[in-house]
Amino acid sequence: MTQFLDYAVPGVPFGCVFALMAVGLVLTYKASGVFNLAFGAQAFVSALAYVSLVQGGWPRWAATVIAVLVIGPVVGVLLDRLLFRRIRTASPLVKLVPSLGLLVALPQVALIITGSTPTIPPPAIVGNAQTVYLHLGSVPLSGLELSISASTVVVAAVLVVLFRFTPVGLEMRAVVESPRMTELAGVNAGRVSAFAWILSSVMAALAGVLLAPLYSQLDPQNFTVLLVWGVAGAVIGRFSSLPLALVGGLALGIAQEVIAGYLPAGVIANGLRPSLPFVVLLVFLPLARQRQLDDPLSGCDPPTSALERTTVGYRSASTVATSGGAGHAVGLWHERLEGGSPGRVTGVLTRRPTTTFAWAVGVVAVVSAITWVPADWLLTMNQGVAFAVIFLSLVLLTGMTGQISLCQATFAGLGGFMAGQLANNFGLPIVLGMVAGGLLAAGLGVVVALPTLRLAGLPLALATLAFALLADNILFPNSWVGNGAGGITLPRPSAGPVSFAAAKPFFLLSLVVLAVCAGIVKLVGDGTMGRYLSAVRGSELAANSVGIDVYRLRVLVFALSAALAGVGGALFGSLEGSLSATDFNYQISAVLLVVVAIVGLGSIAGAVVAGVVYATLQVAVTSLPSRFAGLVAVLFGLATLSYTRHPEGFLDYLSGRVQVALAGRRDRHAGDGPGAEPGVGVGVDPVAEGA
Amino acid sequence: MTGDGLLVASGITKQFGGIVALDHVDLDVAAGEAVGLVGPNGAGKTTLFNCVFGLESPDAGTVEFDGRRIDRLPVWRRSRLGIGRTFQRIELFEGMTVADHLLVAEQAASGTVRIWRDFLHRGGPTPPELHHVQEVLDLLGLSDLAGRPVDTLDLGHARLVELGRAMMGTPRLLLLDEPSSGLDADDTAQLARILDGARRSTGVAVLLVEHDLALVESAVDRLYVLNFGKVLASGGVDEVLGDPDVRRAYLGSTA
Repeated sequence: MTQFLDYAVPGVPFGCVFALMAVGLVLTYKASGVFNLAFGAQAFVSALAYVSLVQGGWPRWAATVIAVLVIGPVVGVLLDRLLFRRIRTASPLVKLVPSLGLLVALPQVALIITGSTPTIPPPAIVGNAQTVYLHLGSVPLSGLELSISASTVVVAAVLVVLFRFTPVGLEMRAVVESPRMTELAGVNAGRVSAFAWILSSVMAALAGVLLAPLYSQLDPQNFTVLLVWGVAGAVIGRFSSLPLALVGGLALGIAQEVIAGYLPAGVIANGLRPSLPFVVLLVFLPLARQRQLDDPLSGCDPPTSALERTTVGYRSASTVATSGGAGHAVGLWHERLEGGSPGRVTGVLTRRPTTTFAWAVGVVAVVSAITWVPADWLLTMNQGVAFAVIFLSLVLLTGMTGQISLCQATFAGLGGFMAGQLANNFGLPIVLGMVAGGLLAAGLGVVVALPTLRLAGLPLALATLAFALLADNILFPNSWVGNGAGGITLPRPSAGPVSFAAAKPFFLLSLVVLAVCAGIVKLVGDGTMGRYLSAVRGSELAANSVGIDVYRLRVLVFALSAALAGVGGALFGSLEGSLSATDFNYQISAVLLVVVAIVGLGSIAGAVVAGVVYATLQVAVTSLPSRFAGLVAVLFGLATLSYTRHPEGFLDYLSGRVQVALAGRRDRHAGDGPGAEPGVGVGVDPVAEGA
Repeated sequence: MTGDGLLVASGITKQFGGIVALDHVDLDVAAGEAVGLVGPNGAGKTTLFNCVFGLESPDAGTVEFDGRRIDRLPVWRRSRLGIGRTFQRIELFEGMTVADHLLVAEQAASGTVRIWRDFLHRGGPTPPELHHVQEVLDLLGLSDLAGRPVDTLDLGHARLVELGRAMMGTPRLLLLDEPSSGLDADDTAQLARILDGARRSTGVAVLLVEHDLALVESAVDRLYVLNFGKVLASGGVDEVLGDPDVRRAYLGSTA
């Protein structure tokens, strides 16, 4: 028993912090429908403010007050006002992407404001972090443990009083049940929801400030990991119960220390600890009612408008054409099909006007690359191509099925590592290694998909996030996979006398790989399967009822998407010559999703442009002076903000504008005889125009 | 308990918490027959549909289709066996065109995900598939709207698209859940004509949940009345609607 306490007590401060995070997550989720993954970043921002103030000579209590009661709520209210309030009823993807973007951008922005990372080790808010003040039985309690536990008890007590005994607590409970109804009853739901954001932001801030002394240096990474534990706590609370979330967070904190204590040190114990959130998510997510998870507001607020749902995601080019009018929802031209009377079903469409433009740009880029572009630019372009393959996997998965994966980088990493290992240890040609890496990633994809794909939307995203973290901790450190921090080396391919080791040949080879992968995505997207997927996105219930095996379809697409990511990862590894686990850790997955969502999940061009953008950003971050690296983060954050206005992505937005302009010109030239295309412009009634 | 019915549901019982939604309900539909299912709101009509179709699993009872137990099969399998269904609250594939709705249903009904075929010849629809799509469009009178995204349709046309989608893949039984709700008299009359046409051309059996008694009387051969989860009466339309118990429970005593 004493030994158990020895292990359990050090877990309490962790547990308290997890609990604060979990409660804060549940609170905002219920009050605003947004699962705020930027929570980890908010915690970091306050911790940074706190430590910076202390370093600047402020007394610790004053620094705490400023960081927790001023900066925390201000950040929260800003996020609510500028961002999350606008997307309350949007689809899970549209809600998730901004919070992920902020998770990455916010800490960088805060670091720009403070100028630099504080150099002192973060102090506890009261007392000395390491000094032992009390003994519980034989277990020593340090200042840190005491201060964290005491703060958490205070917060819990305040919450109970607030919800039980105050009018605003009652209103908050009502808003959580039904914002629309509460408004009708004369309560300002916006104000109440803002209050919920303040409250939860205070908790994030407190968690950050309390936890900071556990690490010798402030690092945003630590706070993201913290977030995943908070998510697990929120899942135990079934996204709805504050007390359960509190208890869940606490239990997780204790459990992870106990596991670490009882098991012998080594890979297993080191791996089991970080895998706990994943296990918890897998066990508890199915228990929570799916409907509640999908959207807490779905029962009471109007659902997403049809337009919003359809503009996000891959738009299949294959659609039935009729000789009377062209087919698809928004902005497709159609080939004129001869014969048949008006209004007859004649065949399959079509082409987008932007496609020609995209091809032209592509050809110019390729010709430039092999003629005049300097070597370091070529490398960047080549990285862009490799990442484009990985982004294709997201266009396939998220664009076509609407499912969100936060472990694509894990698949990319696995593909890369496996290709390298097979090449190094078994002499497999690296090109075959890429294929094998893709296949192995697909296998892992199926393993991940089988238990998680019964979930959808947010729960799936969270499960894949936890899986990515798990893989980072127990899969990649193995010598036969990623070889830990050391990483592995990968050769460049050569086939007999032909070597692709030089920059230009390798670039051309990469283009071939990209073309093959893009071809696969296009075939899937525009074929039967794409039509099925489009149907599933429209209505899963109806898709099932016409005989589509939705689950199998999803597993298939998930595996295919993992395979593409794997190939992309292997290509990247071969390009770089080496690969380590940090190249494809769980945060990269989040960044990848955000980038491609902002650029556009609706088309293959989106993946290619996203690849180029991503590679360029990386160059900007690594080669510009560090001051500017932060600017990239700011830009990233701004792009995230703009995403909520154009969730269809930058490319589709642009393409829509072009089509409106073209349609306008066509209208002016109307009546030019049979050559006039009965095309469909945005917002133009196709029947009226095509008849 | 096979009988010669196309659909034979026996002893279907379903509870939600303490509420008994269905209490040992027996129902059968013969091949080619049109059967109505009426009853006050909350009588369990939609729940019965869901049990037959696989959206809910009954606590007790069996469902047979064409002599085969189907009560453990998932929805998509039942659909492929030849059951089509429409929904009370419309469920369309938003963003897709009318013709695409029918094409998806036609292709899905014939079986597997054709990913390999997609790779070989771009997964285009085959001429017979397109032909069938056109047939159903003609039957529904939707040919002019074939290229329209369903989001832009009015409710009457949207219901027709749902009906058309349920009719793809040549099902042997259609489950129609209040197809006339929200439609005006003209639309309803057209719906009745279309239903009649479909039955005559394909011999499909129909199980119809409906509040519009005029439509019920014109469209069905036989009628079940459900009340508080129990079958109150069943038999020929006139006979059942003349039953005093039915009049009290469903139509109001003075009707």
